[in-house]
Amino acid sequence: MTHRAHRDQAPDTGVTYVFAVCRGTRATRTADVSGLVGMPGGAAVRLLPSGPLTAVVQTVPAADFTDEVWQSRLSVPREIERYARAHHEVVSAAAAHGPAVPLPLATLYHDDDRARRALDEEAHRFHRVLKRIAHHAEWGVKVYEPATVPEEREPVTAGGGGREAPAAGAGLAYLNRRRGVQERRERRRERALSVAESVDAELRELAAASRRLRTHGAVPGGDGRVHVLNATYLVAEHRSEELDVLVRRLGERTGARIELTGPWVPYSFVGEV
Amino acid sequence: MTDLDFRQGGPPANGPQTTNLADILERVLDKGIVIAGDIKIDLLDIELLTIRLRLFVASVDTAKKAGIDWWETDPALSSRASRNALEDENRRLRDRLQALEPATDEDRDPGPDRSAERNDRNDRKETGQR
Repeated sequence: MTHRAHRDQAPDTGVTYVFAVCRGTRATRTADVSGLVGMPGGAAVRLLPSGPLTAVVQTVPAADFTDEVWQSRLSVPREIERYARAHHEVVSAAAAHGPAVPLPLATLYHDDDRARRALDEEAHRFHRVLKRIAHHAEWGVKVYEPATVPEEREPVTAGGGGREAPAAGAGLAYLNRRRGVQERRERRRERALSVAESVDAELRELAAASRRLRTHGAVPGGDGRVHVLNATYLVAEHRSEELDVLVRRLGERTGARIELTGPWVPYSFVGEV
Repeated sequence: MTDLDFRQGGPPANGPQTTNLADILERVLDKGIVIAGDIKIDLLDIELLTIRLRLFVASVDTAKKAGIDWWETDPALSSRASRNALEDENRRLRDRLQALEPATDEDRDPGPDRSAERNDRNDRKETGQR
């Protein structure tokens, strides 16, 4: 499953990490990105001009950015958080001066020349995406069904640690209770899904594009809220207020709790071009 | 999946956060323009990764607040917990549960007469996977 890392790098050399690609406008070219932290262990975040495009890059230690290191990094939640947030911070900053196309986490080139060449080869795609996302932002919308009423809750089966074994008959009572819970849960789920569909339909009317993401199910550590819609929309800047109003109105009409997050750099709308 | 989607969580939520890590991850990890890098980093199995992280992420803040680590003892999240003191009780109940409620798990029970065999298989699967 894991790929072998490239072995043609001396362990102490640097490689070029590319965060995002922007138009090489005057505003971009003169932007100060040196204050950004970037990837842990990397040099200063900087701009890499390449023809009409400008990439936001950072030299990072090659030894720390191999596939092997990433595989172990990916199994430590705190590490993923650290790197994902670092990436996100630079991408967001890159978008401050105009549209920025985010590259996926851990997009690496052996050196600046290789990065430039990749940009040149894909220049037409970058320009198409930049045109698409200019003056647009991504907004995430999550719809939750209200919290479960206590009697619908599934009996807790573990967590007590030292609980005694149940008396005879306790198991059957448990099964009967569970069956009722299951039926109520299914009805609730159907209602919730139809709310999700109508919310999505109305938001799509307003958006330039939309995507459905995987729902998170019940919110762990939450209050029993069930996540029924996880969608994200590409919305023109001048319509963001309209979006806000619509989301609030939909919440009132459906009784569902709706969360709006954004504006995001349009991560979800740059991969299809 | 159905069962997992509606499984109850732990302690009360602390409300939405502005830059929720789960929101960042589902954008940063598998989105972005597809462009080949020189160094192949395998971020595959992003779905699994994000599911795992979501459980972690959503739990950390509340758990920290409450000063507990409930995910370590939640059988949905930890195999160690599922093999703890409740194992015996669970095993007794499982046979009857399978017979009454065959569609609860992801694959269907072939029939009540084979439920014992299936339980064994599941036990092995659980232990091996986690």
